[in-house]
Amino acid sequence: MKKRITKFIALAMALVMVLALAGCGKGNNNKNNNNNPTSSPDTPSDLSALAGTYDITVWVSESAGVADLTKTQIADFCKDNPGIVINAKVEGVTEAESASQMIASVEDGADLYCFAQDQLVRLVQADALAKLGTATQQKITELNDKTSVQAATVGGVMYCYPMTSDNGYFMFYDKSVIPENHLDSLEDLIADCEKAGKMFSMELTTSAWYNAAFFFATGCKSEWTIDSEGKITGVDDNFNSDNGVIALKGMQKLLKSKAFNSSSAGSDFSAAVPSAIVVSGTWSTAAVKEALGDNYAATDLPSFTVDGKTYHLGSYSGCKLIGVKPQNDTKKSAVLQQLALYLSNEKCQLERFKLVGWGPSNLNAQKNADVQADVALAALAKQAEYAVPQPQIHGSWWDIAKVYAVSAKDANTDEELKKALETYEATIKGLFEMSVNEKEAWTVIGSMNGDTNWTTDIPMVCKNDVWYSEAIKFVAGDAFKVRQGKSWDVNIGSDGKAGGPNFDVTEDGYGFVVFTYDKATNTGVIKLEKSSDVYGFSVIGTINGDTWSKDLTMEIQPDGSWLTKEAYELKAGDEFKARQGLGWDVSYGNGGDNYKVETAGTYYIKLTTDNKIELIAK
Amino acid sequence: MSKEKPKNLSIKKEAKQRSLKTHQKVTNVIVYIILVIVSIIWITPFVMIVLESFKGEATCPTDAIIPRQFSLKNYKALFNIGVEKKDEIKFFRWYMNTLIMSCVCAIIQTFMVLCMSYTLSRMRFKGRKFLMNFMLVLGMFPGFLSMIILKKVMSGWNMIGENAVWGLIIIYTASSAMGYYVSKGFFDTIPKSLDEAARVDGATRATVFFRITLPMAKPIVIYTLLTAFMGPWGDFMFAKYIVNNATDGMNVAVGLQNLIATSEGLAAHYTHFCAAGVLVAIPVTILFMCLQRYYVEGVTGGAVKG
Amino acid sequence: MRFFIEKARKGDIMKPKTNKTTGTKKKSVPVRKRKSFAEGVKGFFKAVGNEIKSFFTIFVDGSWRTKLSYVIFGFGNLVLGQIARALFFLAFEALFFFYTIKSGWARILKLGNLKELTEQVEFVRLFNKDIHVELLLSIFSVLLVVVCIVVWRNSFHGSYRNDKLLKEGRKIPRSAFDKGVINFIKAVGNEIKSFFVIFVKGSWRTKLSYVIFGFGNLVCGQIARAALFLAFEASFIYYIINFGLAWILKLDNLGDIGSHEEYDPIFDTYVRVNGDNSFKILLYGVLSVLLCIVCIVVWRMSFHGSYENDKLLEEGKKIPKFKDDLHDIVDSKFHRTLLTVPAIGITMFTVFPIIFMILVAFTNYDGAHDGYSGLFTWTGWANFMELFNTKTSNLGYAFVHILLWTLVWAVLATFSNYFLGMLLALLINKKGIKLKKMWRSLFVMTIAVPQFISLLYMSKLFAKNGLINMLLIKWGFLEFPFDFWANTTASRILVVVINIWVGVPYLMLIATGILMNIPEDLYESARIDGANPFQQYMKITLPYMLFITGPYLLTSFIGNINNFNVIYLLAGGAEANSNLLTSGGSASDVDLLITWLFKISMGTESNYKLASVIGILIFMVVSVISVIGFNLMPSNKNEEDYQ
Repeated sequence: MKKRITKFIALAMALVMVLALAGCGKGNNNKNNNNNPTSSPDTPSDLSALAGTYDITVWVSESAGVADLTKTQIADFCKDNPGIVINAKVEGVTEAESASQMIASVEDGADLYCFAQDQLVRLVQADALAKLGTATQQKITELNDKTSVQAATVGGVMYCYPMTSDNGYFMFYDKSVIPENHLDSLEDLIADCEKAGKMFSMELTTSAWYNAAFFFATGCKSEWTIDSEGKITGVDDNFNSDNGVIALKGMQKLLKSKAFNSSSAGSDFSAAVPSAIVVSGTWSTAAVKEALGDNYAATDLPSFTVDGKTYHLGSYSGCKLIGVKPQNDTKKSAVLQQLALYLSNEKCQLERFKLVGWGPSNLNAQKNADVQADVALAALAKQAEYAVPQPQIHGSWWDIAKVYAVSAKDANTDEELKKALETYEATIKGLFEMSVNEKEAWTVIGSMNGDTNWTTDIPMVCKNDVWYSEAIKFVAGDAFKVRQGKSWDVNIGSDGKAGGPNFDVTEDGYGFVVFTYDKATNTGVIKLEKSSDVYGFSVIGTINGDTWSKDLTMEIQPDGSWLTKEAYELKAGDEFKARQGLGWDVSYGNGGDNYKVETAGTYYIKLTTDNKIELIAK
Repeated sequence: MSKEKPKNLSIKKEAKQRSLKTHQKVTNVIVYIILVIVSIIWITPFVMIVLESFKGEATCPTDAIIPRQFSLKNYKALFNIGVEKKDEIKFFRWYMNTLIMSCVCAIIQTFMVLCMSYTLSRMRFKGRKFLMNFMLVLGMFPGFLSMIILKKVMSGWNMIGENAVWGLIIIYTASSAMGYYVSKGFFDTIPKSLDEAARVDGATRATVFFRITLPMAKPIVIYTLLTAFMGPWGDFMFAKYIVNNATDGMNVAVGLQNLIATSEGLAAHYTHFCAAGVLVAIPVTILFMCLQRYYVEGVTGGAVKG
Repeated sequence: MRFFIEKARKGDIMKPKTNKTTGTKKKSVPVRKRKSFAEGVKGFFKAVGNEIKSFFTIFVDGSWRTKLSYVIFGFGNLVLGQIARALFFLAFEALFFFYTIKSGWARILKLGNLKELTEQVEFVRLFNKDIHVELLLSIFSVLLVVVCIVVWRNSFHGSYRNDKLLKEGRKIPRSAFDKGVINFIKAVGNEIKSFFVIFVKGSWRTKLSYVIFGFGNLVCGQIARAALFLAFEASFIYYIINFGLAWILKLDNLGDIGSHEEYDPIFDTYVRVNGDNSFKILLYGVLSVLLCIVCIVVWRMSFHGSYENDKLLEEGKKIPKFKDDLHDIVDSKFHRTLLTVPAIGITMFTVFPIIFMILVAFTNYDGAHDGYSGLFTWTGWANFMELFNTKTSNLGYAFVHILLWTLVWAVLATFSNYFLGMLLALLINKKGIKLKKMWRSLFVMTIAVPQFISLLYMSKLFAKNGLINMLLIKWGFLEFPFDFWANTTASRILVVVINIWVGVPYLMLIATGILMNIPEDLYESARIDGANPFQQYMKITLPYMLFITGPYLLTSFIGNINNFNVIYLLAGGAEANSNLLTSGGSASDVDLLITWLFKISMGTESNYKLASVIGILIFMVVSVISVIGFNLMPSNKNEEDYQ
């Protein structure tokens, strides 16, 4: 029985092998990675060096007309730079769809694509975005407003180009139904809607982006710490608190109302059971204007009162961004970066504003007369005061944070609300199931080394109960602290006590943070040293009357090189090496072998930044 | 065409109460009523689609089934007549993609299924039981899983996005031979005596297959052609995954779902969807009705013993 | 059909069991005497006494096999070829000792101080009830020990029984599975034996065809076959040396250097430099391994073919030339010609992807590590463990919750369509109903319309601001639109009802076909016996239908478990259920395993590793159901009768 069947498979496999030859023919060309010629002309700004034809795919928002506008804009770009010919395939794709298709297979994804800021972290983790060149980063920072620049940055590195900075939300309402004086009270607005038999559209149970407004109103916050590879290292979130319960109580007023409709579509105004109020953003302006006609109006979000105290609803403010997929070919990558820069410049942003009403992120575009006069953007400006700039957030937070709204809808007692918040907190904490030693590990965090808002944790290594940090570049006026498990629960200040003041750095140059911690008393000692037993260098050899047994410590200099503390008597023929961390994994002499002293004398021994030994006469 | 109730039923009933015939008549009337109600339930949604496709007054769902003003606007919009550039729909392109796919698939799939089912039903060779059980086990895995790798392989052969049509044809037909049950059941019913007679006169197995069995298998061939033709019209999952957002490569199912996925889309294109649904359904239904005799025979004859 | 009708003729089914009252049973059932409690206790102790006595006697006079089965459970069965039983025993013993040593024993000891146990209780929310996990596990561990003793007893008693059978010379009972395994081992044994025998006994030609494929055929003049063999061997060696080996060697950790970005100062842009691509490594690696297996098979064909030629030459018979091969293709080996193309299609596009996806379940392949941008490597059983680890995410809870609904859905969908379809067919086929053809083609028309149009239309019909809500409001039943798809029970009922609307016409066709084949005289004789229509249905139509459509019922049950279109197109946009939400893949209450699998792969993290784990679990669930189903099926045994 085996013989006949195996013969079939044999023939089948023969064909498979042939196909594999064809298939992997393509496969193995990435083994000899194509190191393309980098020789090129002088100034990068004139694009004639990038002449050539490029076939690219572009995914833009699905709103009507945006795809065609982008095609004309690309054509304009080609006109401005005659040498470059771009045949672009432009598709209208919803933002969520374009982000997940990109991540599903980065290789088959579009070369240039638009997405909302909440997808940025996921895209960086999936290596679906090429970093911006340094010159481009400066240009973007100058041209756009601060929040949009910050929105395009992950862990201090810029990954994309801001296109709009109006990705916030406010309230559209039907003037004929809602009286002016009720605009600032959620309770009156709900009553008006119920009385008029109309709906109040706000996406509470279907999107965390909107329901977070209640939590910002009562002063809760949810901030995430992320490193530059987009790996999320921690969260500081106090939704699960009394303020959180108040927020949920406020939300319940709308959740439990008959008029509640969890949607943010501009077309709700002309739906079967029309809405009188829709909480949405500038992307719905066209649909709202069409539905409401001259009853069209917009203002900031209302306030709600719980136990006598009133809270004005907050909101997220964020940006829509354009990203470039990492390319293997330098010239294509450069052209795409220039095209993305062009598509996010003032001219294009204004064209988009005219077509679909998106508020520009470009500074002088914001000064444009029509932009100022736009009703929706004016409402957004009014709401900006309560808006929280949207930080980089973990991809799955958006699903998890819907939990409390869905449970609050059916909850009746405070305990149930508390329980909903507890499940919420347990789940987001679960996202960082830190290993045991990660929880115990101490890290240095502060405003230094270019990171000014205390976001990156610099790891420390423990050697016989003393924690050593790697060399950190300080500038006078920097400050730092040490904390455990990358969270502020356990942190030590310069006075050695828990939660003490920051450790202030007085002079420029490199330094090692050395820290000893006493668990019992929860106190510790922070020292800023020039040498370190783990990361520091030391000299050892047949010098100073010793035979390879005693280490002479070296100190790190402001320029990163190493120098022995004192000068030593060296005899001709002495041999030594400089080694790191009192071990032999990393050691330098004369290249690999020992450094031989030619002329005797008293010298300081120096290890230069490119690991060469030099003798400096005293 | 609802049957109106016979007016003077009560008087007749007393006269013929005892005889079996009236009992028969009453049950028949009840059965007729049930049949009418059931068929109304089954047909109404399609009638509603057709009615809504002629709705002129609004493109979003409204509360009236019968349109206030009849107009062919929706059908025209499908072919971008009288519509601005920015609201264009690529319906014609999607329709042609699906048509190509279903024709090519029908031919290849029928060939595959016939080969497999004739061999398994007619010939006794070693490993036959093993092969049938093996295919049964393979059928238990969810199809979508292999899609993840097939998409990567297809993108290697540049058959996704715009030319997803060819990628999908290969995917639909490659392992279509696993759906051999119905036609195997049909081949089982063809008596073996004819084959033996031909074999005795020295005909090779191939000639037996082509000259004797195949002509007799006309119903099952048409049944397989029909079901294979219907396949691509209904497939959504594989097509959406392979097409990778390229509107030119979509089939009708993915295109229309994409059109009304967002709430704005639904408001702008709902009646267009109804019109497209009618345009897609009519040709397929007409083809189905003409070949209905074979379809029914295939289903009743074959599916049962599969 | 013949089998069934003879059975009916013999009157097994026909005689309606109406005269139950005069049932004269032949055997008189002994009325059980009520035992008093004391006798019961005495009996119990006597039994325990026998047990202990038999424990020692078996050990003493049992054969060496029985003695060993005291230590290794099922050893006696294994040696005598009862492999299925032996495997069960061994698996139980391994699992028992693994669990007890690891945590079971500690839990039993903890039972000592109950107070401490109930305090440090770790709650687990399963079906939103808090369960004292620790307490339950401790009780479970004790029960496990008792069960182990029982299994241990069966092991040596079973082996002792085998000894007795052997002494009396009777045959050892073996299940089909055992025979299969034994044959397989024998077959492999022959293979290896023949490998050496042929080498020794074969002519010089056969010996050489061990090295050069098809050499024997070449010398005997079978040019075409030899050419094929040589071509295969040459291209195989070329492939392995240039590509295959490299891919296979990288299979251990699926790539070492990932891709990275280099800054190009002249053009002020970052350029991506490709590194290893784990996806391609796994793909081509596994392909190359399969290829090596194929090469071994072809190698075997080469020397076996040559050995056959030797035998033919010895007997002076003619060596089949290419002309004969051509004739075979059309005649004796025609089945192979027919099956080649389908076999290649199935191997390439179903078997190979399934193997690949099973392997993916043991890696960390997801959005962030998709092989192209980030490398993925083997992570062993981590993904399966994650399903049962309640700390980080209750994936286990979500899986069980969705599995239950999938099974309920499959039962509801299959049987509702089945019975309603049959009822409709009965109504149409009833005597005296005219225009049968018109009714039938009316329903057949609904099959013709592509499913996605009717399903999408239905889902928009019941949407929040869809037609149904509007009509209900217009007629005053409702004041505000009722969101069907957000409410769990409403969406589940709706999905089943719309599935009936989609599935019944097809079932009606099948039922019509079968009803026409039931011989009329069966109903005549039943009617003479005074059976009313309902009894006729229950005694003749239903058993007959079930008998015939048995396999169809099972395949449609499995089809419904993996029924993607109906659920996704109807309720794809349904809101996520809050408990399921936190468990990854944001499934809604109406989602089946298959749609959950789709949402996980296409969702926020495109978490393929979890998707393939769920795919494997779906496969297990479906295979268990079909194995049970096929064994219960009466018609499965006499398939030959239908020819």
